[in-house]
Amino acid sequence: MARADVKEIVIDRDRPGQPHKGKVFAAVHAHLDDVPFYAGGLCAKLIREGYTGYLIRTTNDEKCGGRTTAENILSNEQEHFKVGESLGFKEVFHFYYQNHEMDNISSLDIRARLIFLFRFLKVDTVVTFNPWGHGEENPDHSATGRAVEEAAWMSGMPNDYHEHMEAGIQPHPVKERYYFYARPGQAFNRIVDIGSHIEKKIDSIAECRSQGGGNHGSLLRAKLAAQGKRLPILGNDDRTADREYIRHFMLDDERECGSPYGFAYAERYYYIDQRGSELTKVDDYVSKNAVAL
Amino acid sequence: MKRRKFLTQSAAAGAVASALPAPAAAQQQSRAPAAASPLPLPAKTTASAYANKRSGWNPFTVPDYYSYADDLQIERSAKGKPHQGKVLAAVQAHSDDIPLYAGGLVAKLVDEGYTAYLIRISNDEAAGKTLGYGVVQNEIDNREVAKALGCKKAFSFYYRNHRMDDCAEIEIRQRLIFLFRVLQVDTLITMDPYNHYEENPDHLVAGRAAEAACWLSGAGKDYPEHYRAGLKPARVREKYYHARSPNGHNLVNRIVDIGPYIDQKVRGNVANKGKGPAGEAGSRLRAELARQGKRLPLLGDNDDTANHQYVKHFLMEDWRLLGQRFGLQYAEAFRYIGPDASHTAAIRKFVDANAVKL
Repeated sequence: MARADVKEIVIDRDRPGQPHKGKVFAAVHAHLDDVPFYAGGLCAKLIREGYTGYLIRTTNDEKCGGRTTAENILSNEQEHFKVGESLGFKEVFHFYYQNHEMDNISSLDIRARLIFLFRFLKVDTVVTFNPWGHGEENPDHSATGRAVEEAAWMSGMPNDYHEHMEAGIQPHPVKERYYFYARPGQAFNRIVDIGSHIEKKIDSIAECRSQGGGNHGSLLRAKLAAQGKRLPILGNDDRTADREYIRHFMLDDERECGSPYGFAYAERYYYIDQRGSELTKVDDYVSKNAVAL
Repeated sequence: MKRRKFLTQSAAAGAVASALPAPAAAQQQSRAPAAASPLPLPAKTTASAYANKRSGWNPFTVPDYYSYADDLQIERSAKGKPHQGKVLAAVQAHSDDIPLYAGGLVAKLVDEGYTAYLIRISNDEAAGKTLGYGVVQNEIDNREVAKALGCKKAFSFYYRNHRMDDCAEIEIRQRLIFLFRVLQVDTLITMDPYNHYEENPDHLVAGRAAEAACWLSGAGKDYPEHYRAGLKPARVREKYYHARSPNGHNLVNRIVDIGPYIDQKVRGNVANKGKGPAGEAGSRLRAELARQGKRLPLLGDNDDTANHQYVKHFLMEDWRLLGQRFGLQYAEAFRYIGPDASHTAAIRKFVDANAVKL
């Protein structure tokens, strides 16, 4: 349901051609499986429509993977590369902050690094956690969302980290934001039709084996085989099993979200557009009212 | 630097007093508390720290004590440009730190070929008519100090003055790592992060951040996004740590002969108008005396000369006294940390010398 404080819901359908050609977006998440689950469809859509995408993970995911802490860091790191590849990101970055402990990390340090990357990569749009989203129980999500939101506007301010100019890296403001709908009840004002991008979203979730259940299909297939059984929807190989498991059991929210709008699958976002400015209004007024001297 | 009322020294200052020119000695004696004579050390003990001679003319000079390493070296002027191609970063918390404590060294190294950059960490807001005026004047000063000492460029980070212990040190360090990489810094000059009895939090934070940034700027896995942007690792292989006064107790292993550069050091301090004991103190004294119908011959006949001479004769005196101990005209003292020896080369040398045929 829409919340009363977010005005009307905008429906975002596929656009023909590459209307975003030349634009850059950064999807910033805390953990391996955040972007695949919350925004896999949107990221695939934006890239298909011309955006260049960069994927930035802030933690090291050391707590997830079922192995030793060190082995978890490695497996999540390698799977993160695969997630980026599956969705069509140009490049993947990792900050490796300690998992589940980001509320004790200097937000300034995180923010400064994001400002550097936003400027260097000339990021126009960010996709990340809603820093004001209610019900968020994971401190890494909140810390990441806050740092991104702050970095987005500060990256356009020349007096913040002015030393970047010494390396030829210029201020560059981020003008559009898509905030995840990560917990029930969080605000959203945009429904994105991801029907034609669902296969890529499934691909990205399937790469989340250390966390996120990307390998549940193959695990179930093996378990059933040990019992002398099989589930026909899981197909005849592990890859198919993982993908079909995800399609059948892990995308209910996307189906439910799309249904009222006639979409097979959809994702929700709180979208903020800062491309317009007060200057435009002033310019408009001046053009209509300026008289000759 | 914290502006504090200078308290004249007790035992150490008493010993110095006799070496002072008469007017200063008389002045100091009248202000100093009754000084006890130093006691002889007990048998079989050796002094581990040496009290510095102090003129009493400058509140911000050499620290109370130095401990000298047994491999102490005198670094004299080098001929030609032996450091051509090398880069140094002089990192200071406040606009007057480097000119006071290491201005001679910076001028010397620039003269010997270094390209130098001056990096100020605080905004120096605590010194000025209002906070706003103070910030602006010190910003100007930092640039002018850099010019006077021969630095190519000055940077300011503008953290709030006297409050840097409330800043995220990791963020300051990150910014220094970035600059060290961009500028390809080889050598650091900064406040000793281990200066004992340091009462100004900005100094310690600046020193610690700079020290850590040195080796981290050469590490491949720290802030790897810098490399993605085309930056290269920096190899900061030499460090000069300076002390500060009026407190302080530092380990010193290098005395730098700054005699040929004393006038440049003076100019660096004269450029520092917003704070510190130098700046336009000479012309102010000249004007004050003129109002009383007097003049001090050493201040000359114009304000520029007065400013220069005031700094040179009063504020540089303690560095003259330090130099005197080592047979130099003027000196600055540092804890110098040089390049690490290559352990692999040392092992290879041993192997080459000792390997035998199978």
